[in-house]
Amino acid sequence: MLESFILGLSTGSACLLTCGMVMFPYLMSGSSGVKRITIDLSVFLLTRMLVYALLSVAAWYLGRAFFTNQVVRSVVPGILYIVFAGMLIWYAIDRNRQKNCPAKFVTTVNNRKLIPIFLGVVNSLGFCPALYLVLTKGASEESLAGSLTAFLAFFIGSSLWFLPLPLAGKIKKKKILETIGILATGLAGIIFIIKGLTSLIGGIING
Amino acid sequence: MKKIKIIAGIAWAFICLILIIVLFPGLNSFSSSLAMLPFMKINPNYTGGEVAQSLVMDNCTIDIRRPVFDGLFGERQKGFVQIDWRGEIPAEIIDTIDFDFDNNKDFAISINSKSSETILLPFNNKIRDVGISTPTSYGWAVRVNLKK
Amino acid sequence: MDDTLSGTSLKKSFGKSLLYSLPMILITFMFISGGRPDFSNPSSALAMMITFILVNVLYFLMHYTGKTDKFRAILFIIFALSLSFTLISNMLEMRNSMSFSQADILECKIPFCHLVIPMMILPAAFTKSIIFPGSILGSFAGIASMVVLWLVATLVLGRGFCSWGCFYGGWDDGFSRIRKKPVIKKISDSWKWMPFAVLFMVALTSALSLGPTYCDWICPFKAVTEFEEVTSVASAAKAGVFISLFAGLVVILPFLTRKRTQCSFLCPLGAINTLSNKITPFTVKIDKANCSECFKCVAACPLFALTQEGIRNGKVSVFCSKCGKCIDACSRNAIHYGIKGVPAGTMKKFSRNLFLFISFLFMAVFSSGSIVNTFRGLLDLIF
Repeated sequence: MLESFILGLSTGSACLLTCGMVMFPYLMSGSSGVKRITIDLSVFLLTRMLVYALLSVAAWYLGRAFFTNQVVRSVVPGILYIVFAGMLIWYAIDRNRQKNCPAKFVTTVNNRKLIPIFLGVVNSLGFCPALYLVLTKGASEESLAGSLTAFLAFFIGSSLWFLPLPLAGKIKKKKILETIGILATGLAGIIFIIKGLTSLIGGIING
Repeated sequence: MKKIKIIAGIAWAFICLILIIVLFPGLNSFSSSLAMLPFMKINPNYTGGEVAQSLVMDNCTIDIRRPVFDGLFGERQKGFVQIDWRGEIPAEIIDTIDFDFDNNKDFAISINSKSSETILLPFNNKIRDVGISTPTSYGWAVRVNLKK
Repeated sequence: MDDTLSGTSLKKSFGKSLLYSLPMILITFMFISGGRPDFSNPSSALAMMITFILVNVLYFLMHYTGKTDKFRAILFIIFALSLSFTLISNMLEMRNSMSFSQADILECKIPFCHLVIPMMILPAAFTKSIIFPGSILGSFAGIASMVVLWLVATLVLGRGFCSWGCFYGGWDDGFSRIRKKPVIKKISDSWKWMPFAVLFMVALTSALSLGPTYCDWICPFKAVTEFEEVTSVASAAKAGVFISLFAGLVVILPFLTRKRTQCSFLCPLGAINTLSNKITPFTVKIDKANCSECFKCVAACPLFALTQEGIRNGKVSVFCSKCGKCIDACSRNAIHYGIKGVPAGTMKKFSRNLFLFISFLFMAVFSSGSIVNTFRGLLDLIF
C-alpha cells in the first residue's frame, strides 16, 4: 500500500505538471464558479477511481492465472518491476515526454458534459510506466482486496495533485516544481528497481 | 529605509554571534528543555511500547508490553507485541503468554538461548509469526507479529 | 568601515591576525580543555594540545593570508575523518563490528545524526514521537542535543551548516579537491533540485512507514559509520546501496567533477538548509563594480550555487554554503561575505571577520571532541 501511494504521489506531480496544462482548460472550460469546477473535478476523479478498480480486478485475475507458484510470484514481478522502473526512470529523463500526454486527444470530444469522464478514462488508461508498476503490484498480490488496496493507494497518491488543479495556472515557480516532480518520479523508479531486485533475488534463492 | 535595513541586518548578525557563543555552554540546558516537549519521546515501534505487566519468576522477570499497532494517523492492521526476559536467562525459555490479559493464553513460545532458535505456537488467529528474537543487554527480547 | 577593497587587501599583518585570533584562542581553550587542563593522562593532554593548536593555527591563517576555503576545508575534512574514526573505533570496541544488531535497535542505542531531522518532522507532528531508535538525552549523539545544535547552526549559518558544521560534508569536499582540473565539466543545472525530490520522498516514506527511510535505505555515509547486520536479501541490498552511493557520489563523482556531488544531488538536509539560507543574516555578495565577469567563481563553486547569469545579475543563489571557495578564486575581491541589508561592496572586512568568527567557532567547538578522540586513539596506537 505504502509503495503504491508513494508511486502515485511521486508520479502524480510529474503527471499533473506535464498533462495538467493540457487538461486544465478543457476540464474547466465553460465552468461557472467553484461549484461547477468541484463537480467536474469530482466526476473526473470518480472516473479515474472506477477505471483503477476495474484494472485492479483484471490485474489480480491475470496474476492468479500466470503466477502459479511462490517462486514465479516472486521472480516474474521482480523482472517486471525492474523493466517498468527502468521505463519510469527513462520517462523522468526523456525530454520529449510532454508530447506524450494522452489528454491532448480531448479535442475530439464535442459533448461538454462528457469531457471530465473522457479525461478520467484517458488519464487512468494513459499507460505510463507508473501504471505498469502498479499493475504488476496488483497482479502479485495474494488477494483481490490487496490488489484493490494497491490501486486505491495509487489513486489517492496521484489524485492529491489534481485537487489544487484550479490553481495550477497561478503557481509561480512551476518550472522548479516540475523539475522536482520529474526527479521524484525517477526516485520512485529507483525504489521499484530495488524492490524488483530484492523480489527477484529472493525468488531465485527460494527456488 | 536603507539605513534601517543595514542596522537590522547587523543587529541580526550580532544576535547570531551571541547565539553561537551561548550554544555550547548552554547545550545541556537547551537539550533538556527540548526533551521536555511532548513529541520528544521515541516511537513505540522502536521502544516496544510501555510495559503492561511484569511477571516475577525465580531468576528473571518477564515484561509483557502493550501491543503496538501505532501508525501515522491511527492504528494499523498489523502490529506486534514485545516480551522481555530480564535477569538470568535459562538455556531454554518456554513460556505461555496472555498479552491482552483476557485470561486466555494467546501463544506459547520456546527459545533456545544458545542457538537463538525460536518456536512460536499460536493459540488464536491474531498471532502471525516471530518478528524478532534476540539476546539483549538485559536478557532476551521477542517481538511477536500480530494482526487485528 | 571600508568601502571597497582590491587585490589582496583581506590579508592582515601578523600582529593584527594574532589579535583577531585571540577571542578564538580563549574560547577554544575553554572548550577543548574544559577550562581545567588535565595532564594526568599524557596522550589525552597531547591530543587536546594538538587539536587546540590545529584549530587556532587554521583560524590565524585565515586572517593572515586572507584566504578562507583551504583552511576551512582542512578542519572540515579532519572533522569528517575523525568522526568516522571515533564512531568506528567505538563500535569495534563495543561490538567488534561496524554493524549494529537488532538488540541495539530494540534498546534504542543507535547514535543519532542530523540527517534524520527531515524525516522526523511529519511523524513528530502527527504521532508526537520520534521515529528513530536513539536516546533523547544520550551523552553521545543524543537526539535533543543534535537537534538543538542543528537548529541554532542552521538559523545562524543557513546552508553554511553544510560547509562549516556537517560532519559528513568533509568526505566529498575532500575527494573533490584531489584533482586540479575536472574531468567532467558539464553537468545539468537541474540536478541541483534533486535533494528536494529526495526530501519529498524520504519525508513521505518515513511518515507513512514510521521509520527513517533515508537511514534505512539510502544514506551513503553508512559505509563509513555503521549499518544494519547483513542477515537477509533486503539488508544485503541496503548494504549494496550504501556502498554504491558512497563510491559514486562521495568518491568517484567529486573526484571527476571537483564538485560536492553528494551534498548537491542527494542530501535531504541540504535541501532544508537551502531554505534556511533565507533566514540567516550572512550571505555571499557580488560587488558588480569590481566584477570582470571572468566566471572563475562559477567554476570554483562546489555546490552549483553560482551561474554566469546570476553573476551578471549580481545574485548568489540559495544553494550557497558560504564555503569561501569562490571568494578565494576572485582576484578582484568582487565576491565577498556580506550581511543581509548591507549593500554589496561595502563593509567587506567587517562582514568577513564576523562571519568567520561565528562559523569557525561553531566548527572548532563542534569538531573538537571527535578530533581529540581521534588524536588520542592514534597516539595510543603509536605509543
